[in-house]
Amino acid sequence: MNAIVVLIISLIGIGVGYFLYAKSIDRTIIQPDDSKTTPAKMYMDGVDFTPANRNVLFGYQFKSVAALGPIVGPIIAVRWGWLPALLWVILGTMFLGWVQDYASIVVGVREEGQTFGALSFRLISRRARTILLIFIYAYLLLIMAAFGKIVGFDLMTNPAVPLGVLLVMGLGMAAGHMTYKLKMDILVTTLITVVLAFVGIWLGTVGPVKSLFLAINGGATSPLLFGSVTWAQFFWSLVVLVLCYLGATLPIWRWAQPINYVAFWIVFLGIIGGTIGLAVWHPAIPVDFPAVSSYDGKLGTLSALGPLWPLLFVTIACGAISGWHSLVSSSGTARQLENETDALYVGGGSMFLEMFLATLSLLCATVGVGYAKYVELVGKGAIAGVFSNGLATFLNQVGVPVSFGLPYGSVFLTLMALTIMYLVVRFMRVASAEFIGDAVPVIRNTAVGTIVALAFSALMIWTGFWSYVWILFGGANQLMASLALLIISLWLKSKEKNYMWAFLPFIFMFITSIAALLTTAWQVISANLRGGLPIDKVVGNWIAGFLAIFLTIAALVLAWDAIKALTRVVGVSKPAQAKADA
Amino acid sequence: MVNPSQLLNWRTRLGKCWRTLRDIFYGMTTYEMVRDLKKERARLEHLFVLITMGDWLGIPILPPYYTLRLLPYVVPHLAGWKCCLLRERDLTDLTDFET
Repeated sequence: MNAIVVLIISLIGIGVGYFLYAKSIDRTIIQPDDSKTTPAKMYMDGVDFTPANRNVLFGYQFKSVAALGPIVGPIIAVRWGWLPALLWVILGTMFLGWVQDYASIVVGVREEGQTFGALSFRLISRRARTILLIFIYAYLLLIMAAFGKIVGFDLMTNPAVPLGVLLVMGLGMAAGHMTYKLKMDILVTTLITVVLAFVGIWLGTVGPVKSLFLAINGGATSPLLFGSVTWAQFFWSLVVLVLCYLGATLPIWRWAQPINYVAFWIVFLGIIGGTIGLAVWHPAIPVDFPAVSSYDGKLGTLSALGPLWPLLFVTIACGAISGWHSLVSSSGTARQLENETDALYVGGGSMFLEMFLATLSLLCATVGVGYAKYVELVGKGAIAGVFSNGLATFLNQVGVPVSFGLPYGSVFLTLMALTIMYLVVRFMRVASAEFIGDAVPVIRNTAVGTIVALAFSALMIWTGFWSYVWILFGGANQLMASLALLIISLWLKSKEKNYMWAFLPFIFMFITSIAALLTTAWQVISANLRGGLPIDKVVGNWIAGFLAIFLTIAALVLAWDAIKALTRVVGVSKPAQAKADA
Repeated sequence: MVNPSQLLNWRTRLGKCWRTLRDIFYGMTTYEMVRDLKKERARLEHLFVLITMGDWLGIPILPPYYTLRLLPYVVPHLAGWKCCLLRERDLTDLTDFET
């Protein structure tokens, strides 16, 4: 099948999903009414509640939800074959993904801007809110582990990458200084910093620079430091944690915000260039790349990943459905929505656009890299290398040399991960202060709180298997998505609206996520019991197994509370209906 | 021949497309920076209102002379200010990353 046909199929998916299914739900069930005042207008305080134009909000929502997930997930999932991965991306978005994003905004808007924490307290129970908050913390920790491993172990250990990344960080800080202190024009600032960033990425490919970073890595084959962790992996993951520390403690205008801004351009230009390259090239998916490989994800010489159900459905999280989106939608976007009718365009529209990004990433692995190279790279654990190679191939079609495209792809991915990571640490710091600040006052200290969050992250990064960590991250993410769908269903039921379009996705996602977590727990614990693993993997496997079981138990308790709440709501709504019928 | 009214129609449509793209791009790039700055300013203003008008929320401050001088300027913002200060927050609020 030609790559362009795959893109056209995903565009048809967008057309059917958005214009037929989503619009009909919006029109018949939610029935948005622009004469109703949204929280953004009613409570406009200039802090949390501020109305924004629908197009501006669409851009904001897309940027907030599209990170590393829609890129890395499909690359791993093609191990079950590209067809199941593609089908899940398209059908997942059509029937689950947009439902969660859109309905989260609607619930936020109709409930005066209340977040899911407050809603779970009100609709389910006090315990539900606590569990939800613990979930969020565990989920953030897994983000740090999954992203930290991919950046520190895989991307930064490539000697052509660190200079580009460090220069973008420095240029981001310079952009902040130029904008806020020197009051320079934003266009001039953008032009200077982005051009210099590209020069920096190119400089990283120059011989002497690569030699320098190769020396820092301890040679082409970096020596083992402990367990199975090499010196280069340890050193660069430490550098990543230091960058996260700076991101979490410096004022947001000094670090996170301007670096995100410069990084956006690097990423955006890469996506545009890659898409044009793919369109110009329009190759067919190689015939040797299987449409369906095997049920346990065994591709060629690669070892089995696990059963297609449930693991594929958590491996691709963002790009099909992701719990993170519900948090952004309910606490960020819902408070900026100017009119109720904008909810579908902003929430649903950006989810469908993310589906397109996930499809592009899938093509990166299948078409851009090809079967033999894919197996070789994944066999070496270079998941990020798959994306860099694919993007470099696409960019090469529009004249960008592969020698530049390869490190550019790596810097692209590193920046996507880092921009999320230091904000996650910032969040974790505040979360731990909220949780245990009263019992342990020292945790309220910014530096201490950040170091504690980073210490947990380091433990997760330096131990365990990356593939298990990624599946755990996906499992926690999807579990959060299912909990969001549960809250949405409860809300719809309490308003006596048809709730099946949210409740059925909840049942599927909940069972799938629980099954994925238990499968992962079984895999890691049985691997430990078989023995023969280095000490870091043993520790990592126990942590992963414990986390998976803990998340499962917490989710079951929350679901139990929710079912009780649902029957309560049904009990309330039946007499009301009988009264109305009479 | 192209009808002038058709041409005008196309120009209007193109203009609309351009504005849409510009807005989406703004949303992806500098919107968050502008929003952060506005938030920072609003927070400082809220603190100022708190120390001058805190008795509106039951905070026992003696209204100074300046409270009365400032009152006409503050009145339009009082409702938003009270909502912002009295609203219960939890960790899910922080997802907006303004921590």
